[in-house]
Amino acid sequence: MRLGLVIDLDVCVGCHACAIACKEWNASGTIGPLSDYQPYGAEPSGVWFNRIRHYEMDEYPNNKTINFPMSCMHCEDADCVTVCPTGASYKRAEDGIVLIDQDKCMGCNYCSWACPYGARELDRSSGTMKKCTLCIDRIYDQALPVEERQPACVLTCPAHARMFGDFDDPDSAVSRTVRERGGFPLMPELNYNPTNTYLPPRRKPVIPVDTRPRGGLKESIKQFANKLVRR
Amino acid sequence: MNAKIKLEHHDAQEIRYTTCYMCACRCGIKVTLEDNKVRFIQGNRNHPTNQGVLCAKGSAGIMKQYSTAKLTQPLMRKPGTERGEGIYEAISWDQALDTLTDRLEEIRATDPSKLGYFTGRDQMQALTGLWAQQFGTPNWSAHGGFCSVNMAAAGLYSIGFSFWEFGAPDWDYAKYFIMWGVAEDHSSNPIKIGLEKLKRRGGKFVTVNPVRTGYSAIADEWLPIKPGMDGLLAMSMVHVLLKHEKFDYEFLVRYTNASWLVVQTPGQLGDGLFLRGENDHPLVWDIDKEAFRNGLDGDIAPALFGEYVAPDGRRVKTVMSIMVERYLDERYAPENVALECGLPAEAIERIALEMAHVAFKETVELPIEWTDVWGRKHDKVVGRPVAMYAMRGIAAHSNGFHSCRAIHMIQMLLGALDAPGNFRARAPYPKPIPPHQLPENNIDVINAPNTPLSRPPLGFPTRPEDLVIDEFGNPLRIDKAYSWEVPIASHGLMHMVITNATNHDPYALDTLILFMANMAWNSTMNTANIQDMLRAKDPEEPGQYKIPFLVVIDAFHSEMTNFADLILPDTTYLERHDCISLLDRPISEPDAAADAIRYPLVKPDRDVRPWQEVMVELAGRLKFPAFTRPDGTRKFRDYPDFIVNFERSPGVGFLAGWRGKDGSQSLKGEPNPNQWQKYIENQSFFAHHWPDNQKYMRYANKDYLDVAADAGFVGKVEPIIMQFYSEPLQKFRLAGQGLYDGPQPTNQVDRERLMKYFDPLPMWYEPLEQQRVDKEEYPFFALTQRPMFMYHSWDSQNVWLRQIMAQNYLYMNARRAAEMGIQDFDWIWVESHNGKIRCQVKTMEGTQEDTIWTWNAIGKQKGAWGLKENASEATRGFLLNHLISELLPEKAGERRVTNSDPVTGQAAWFDLRVKIWKAAPGETGAWPQLDVLKPYPGDERYERPDVLRYDARSHEKN
Amino acid sequence: MHPAFSVIFFTVASGAGFGLFSLLFIADTFKLGGGFSDQQLVIGGLVALGLIAFGLLSSTFHLANPKNAWRAFSRFRTSWLSREGVFAVVFMPLALIYLVCIWFDAPLWLRETFGFLSAVLAWITVFSTGMIYACLKTIRQWNTPLVPANYLALGYASGSLLLLLGAVVAGLDPAPFIAMAALIVSIAAVLKAIYYFWIRSTGLTPTINTATGFTRAKVKLLDTGHTHGTFLTQEFGFQIARRSAGLLKIVVFGLGFVLPGLMLVWIFNEQGGQTAAAVAALAGIVGAAIERWLFFAEARHVVNLYHGAQRC
Repeated sequence: MRLGLVIDLDVCVGCHACAIACKEWNASGTIGPLSDYQPYGAEPSGVWFNRIRHYEMDEYPNNKTINFPMSCMHCEDADCVTVCPTGASYKRAEDGIVLIDQDKCMGCNYCSWACPYGARELDRSSGTMKKCTLCIDRIYDQALPVEERQPACVLTCPAHARMFGDFDDPDSAVSRTVRERGGFPLMPELNYNPTNTYLPPRRKPVIPVDTRPRGGLKESIKQFANKLVRR
Repeated sequence: MNAKIKLEHHDAQEIRYTTCYMCACRCGIKVTLEDNKVRFIQGNRNHPTNQGVLCAKGSAGIMKQYSTAKLTQPLMRKPGTERGEGIYEAISWDQALDTLTDRLEEIRATDPSKLGYFTGRDQMQALTGLWAQQFGTPNWSAHGGFCSVNMAAAGLYSIGFSFWEFGAPDWDYAKYFIMWGVAEDHSSNPIKIGLEKLKRRGGKFVTVNPVRTGYSAIADEWLPIKPGMDGLLAMSMVHVLLKHEKFDYEFLVRYTNASWLVVQTPGQLGDGLFLRGENDHPLVWDIDKEAFRNGLDGDIAPALFGEYVAPDGRRVKTVMSIMVERYLDERYAPENVALECGLPAEAIERIALEMAHVAFKETVELPIEWTDVWGRKHDKVVGRPVAMYAMRGIAAHSNGFHSCRAIHMIQMLLGALDAPGNFRARAPYPKPIPPHQLPENNIDVINAPNTPLSRPPLGFPTRPEDLVIDEFGNPLRIDKAYSWEVPIASHGLMHMVITNATNHDPYALDTLILFMANMAWNSTMNTANIQDMLRAKDPEEPGQYKIPFLVVIDAFHSEMTNFADLILPDTTYLERHDCISLLDRPISEPDAAADAIRYPLVKPDRDVRPWQEVMVELAGRLKFPAFTRPDGTRKFRDYPDFIVNFERSPGVGFLAGWRGKDGSQSLKGEPNPNQWQKYIENQSFFAHHWPDNQKYMRYANKDYLDVAADAGFVGKVEPIIMQFYSEPLQKFRLAGQGLYDGPQPTNQVDRERLMKYFDPLPMWYEPLEQQRVDKEEYPFFALTQRPMFMYHSWDSQNVWLRQIMAQNYLYMNARRAAEMGIQDFDWIWVESHNGKIRCQVKTMEGTQEDTIWTWNAIGKQKGAWGLKENASEATRGFLLNHLISELLPEKAGERRVTNSDPVTGQAAWFDLRVKIWKAAPGETGAWPQLDVLKPYPGDERYERPDVLRYDARSHEKN
Repeated sequence: MHPAFSVIFFTVASGAGFGLFSLLFIADTFKLGGGFSDQQLVIGGLVALGLIAFGLLSSTFHLANPKNAWRAFSRFRTSWLSREGVFAVVFMPLALIYLVCIWFDAPLWLRETFGFLSAVLAWITVFSTGMIYACLKTIRQWNTPLVPANYLALGYASGSLLLLLGAVVAGLDPAPFIAMAALIVSIAAVLKAIYYFWIRSTGLTPTINTATGFTRAKVKLLDTGHTHGTFLTQEFGFQIARRSAGLLKIVVFGLGFVLPGLMLVWIFNEQGGQTAAAVAALAGIVGAAIERWLFFAEARHVVNLYHGAQRC
């Protein structure tokens, strides 16, 4: 299995719901708590696994705003795992999820240097690196209803801009969607083979219009006629 | 080697279902609790509103529950200190309620109008309104007047339902969707769910908005309109539709008043009113029978066009003829509005024709049999799948009422309302146009001591006689709603209350109760001056304030609480009973009537009480008739008891589900003592799913209207004919012209406003403030919107949400900024006719060139909301509100009038015009900076650590 | 990249230490300048080991959770950071045995074997340090063979200047030490010059377009989704102005290469003596430290593309 996410940039409205649901679940989840620094002070900051950035493409008035959620891509060739000196970072053979063993991490930040996607954030309180677990404590939890065994971000996304599934299975919904919609990985040139895939905004639908109707354009009230229409 | 993955301690957890309260969306939530701590809040999959999803605010509910801004106990301003100093003493609830009861008893026994009771973002207006009515004061409203009354009023005076909460786009069938001026808004989750559905099905999404963020980001086409020009754009689209003869002839004949005849006697009494026959029915010209006939009847074949002579000799003309004459005029041609709107003429014409194409060439037909209100059976439902939604960007202009009516005009022309793929009604709407409810205006009743009003304080006037004024034309309400200045102010004018009460205009109040409204900060215009008004002493009554007693109810340490004489602390939404009632602001969806409850999941750890509980208690203490038994004892034990047993009319109460003694009845039935339990068992909501034959065309759907009449949604089963041409508006205009056979205004300002702005057909005029300021001097339009993750929630105290945004910037078009030598993060001055502020700039592409905007209510006063004094919200965040005046700029020889829509009294937040310039080197930080708020007694319980490590699994911690 | 003091101190000090130790072995083997006495050799060796130990200790200050530092040896097969640790740790006993051999006058073959092994390990360790950075595809300025070459050259250059200082203090003939230092410092200078010219050209690197996948139009950041800093902005957001970097490069060359070179000439002309040697060593090490600071400061991690950089 190769589990990961599909992010649909065509429908993401940038509401940050996924980021907060992630924070909420994981704060009390297997990797939690997630520290918040200066929560009431001048410059609040904290540990998050999912951040939404906003970009603008092209120039006014042809510009388009793109909302861009990013979390761990669970790369096939995850350098963050390769470079980890302690063995805390690992990629699970059975499903491809990249995790950090909190009992082994020494907090050297090296894995975060190896990650091009900014997926890893150090928790200064625990001194350990933390990251998206694909909600491994949800997706395999047999006590949860089947339909809820999904990452919190996917469950909550109001625009259903996020899908979770197995990219190794060519018939899975994620694989099919990626094929149909021309999904793309981020920074493919680095050869990390990220699992998470992004779907591009679609083309504008074209609607035929008839600027010269039969019978010509109406210029005055006199050109309108009553029809016998019964209520 | 894999590490051990710790799973949940399900044995230690409980699952509860309740309703979110982080905004007006009111989604169903599933709450996981662990040791009385909130572990997880997620969307309820079965809930009709959010269908399992949840927004950022909803998920951040945990941090609201554990906010350090929570008030902890009742507080009284310390004797000897000044209002606004923020020095308080803790008092007991008994003391607080005794003090308040004494005061209210005295007012009620002498002059009930001396009480003003205004509520902000509450969701229980049915109860607060009832309370005010029982008290006997007309001075009640919620915050709709500064929020979206233009949308509500325009809809309810045109189509019988409205944008805002009384309708929703049909996302399942719509193929073309236009979103007008929507900030990330009401129905936030349903809209997100819907936009995704629409786009996946290949539908086109067009957005009309000066700013491209949020929903507009994913639009297929963006129309960066100049603010306030939307009505002109809509009317230009109408021009195109008429020119191409693209309208639904049958729909207009059947379901609208396009064929009704309008009397044409300029300069005479009765000009512009409908020609009426016996029983006052509007008349049409039947081209089959060649006779005037009742326009409400079913078996008619009305002429849509034409001029006729009435039996009494008066000339009459169909509404449609008047419309064609007006909107076919070259004034509305795309090329003639393009410059004003800031949009290419080509785009205006094309969008109109695209809509027409989808409406008429891509029709949806569903094989659903239904019966119309005239008794005829139909074997299918035809949908013209163009849907629209509009909100604040239209509403918050002083021409918003007419702009919104213009949008409804397009919908009516296309026959695209409440059918598949349209904007559809949500129960209890549609209602008669306008709804049959008039505001109390009997001065004897209003002045009578210890007497409830005979009608609610708010309603829908249809003629000058319905105004709430005295015999001299003076307003009877403190906010001047339903006066000649703002005749159809159906939600009141909360934004005028403090100003009017301070000026004793039209009279002085004794006590003002504000519930959950930050009227000393982001919910008021003119913030700094309003704070001064709250502090103002009355020179005629030494030692007394202009507003003598101010009671504020809130759950959090807002800027408003700092001015209270008495602060009553509310609970959070997870700590109390609530009901989201069909009598109130519905959460229904087009396919289901729905309501919901909340019940306590978490035990409060402080001395706080739910305000609705306190209201029921006060109602008992004050012996309101509806709350008191004949023997003088309290009728309702508490709020839950009230909700179950109060009946507005027999069988109709606050909750529509599981009624009847055994809980077997829906919508209507006797009170059920186990009703709360039934709701809790059913995940805290009730949904009555409409059968297929009651889902569409409900303005004329007999089967639906039968149920609606029985449930009290409408008075009786009769067609709801949509109103292109609004006769109530014409009656007010006649009053302004001196041609009305009834009350007429005496003041020239009022007369002019009525003549100018009470056009019975949608019209466009330049927003009022802009008519009075120099556009050369103030070249920019200035707007605000709320970010999606804080919409309606003022959640700067939320430690997760504030990390996303702790400072707002002023956004402007990048090219325009470059021309002015302004760069990202420059500090600039922004000045309007009302004042100036300093803030920091960010440039972007997605802003219309003449517009600047910011995220509203990020800026906070130092010390408020449980934040430290150096919080970015206070040092760098800012409010645009300082620039906006609640009054229009002065004009010689005229009394000051409200900066609101002249029809509805909707606060004209977005009419603002400003100039900007770069701050001098060294001028940094937000300006103005008001006083630092002091912590309240009880605040010492909050630690505010430098590092917060929230974890619900307390038993697992080391 | 955020220039962390602990890492700068570590790489400079341990590089110098390893360089010094390796060159000390060469000086011992070839009896350069007449040869150090056993006592002098041991003192020199201990100085080198001290630098290395301080460096390693300093590097642990960089760790957020040092109690797990011992685990850093466990991923020798994949991680250059782990390899560096392992090599450094293996080096230590070998180096100590070498010094013990000198002190107790052990058989020459034993002394030479351990000396050789520790010199090789020293080289490998410094190479590994360089590879920690060079293996990162996320940082264009580091992802080049020039990086381990620079680390080696600068470490040995610092070591050679320290050794020269030792030789001058010990009263040996400075000529061979001057020659060695001149050669290594020149190599280091050349390599550094190549590096500085090389990082100036951007080449085919990720851009904000490839980072977001939108390659057909200009892409600009509108908002990062957080008002204040995050771990990412603190760790990767550091940026130095082009002008400041240019000035610092002149300082690096002036202090790190030119000044030591002048001192070498001075010593060769028998004018400076100990002071000149001390200045050369100090200047070389300070120059190396500034070089190391700049090495971090100029490195632009690709995550900055997501925070608005057009290219890195």
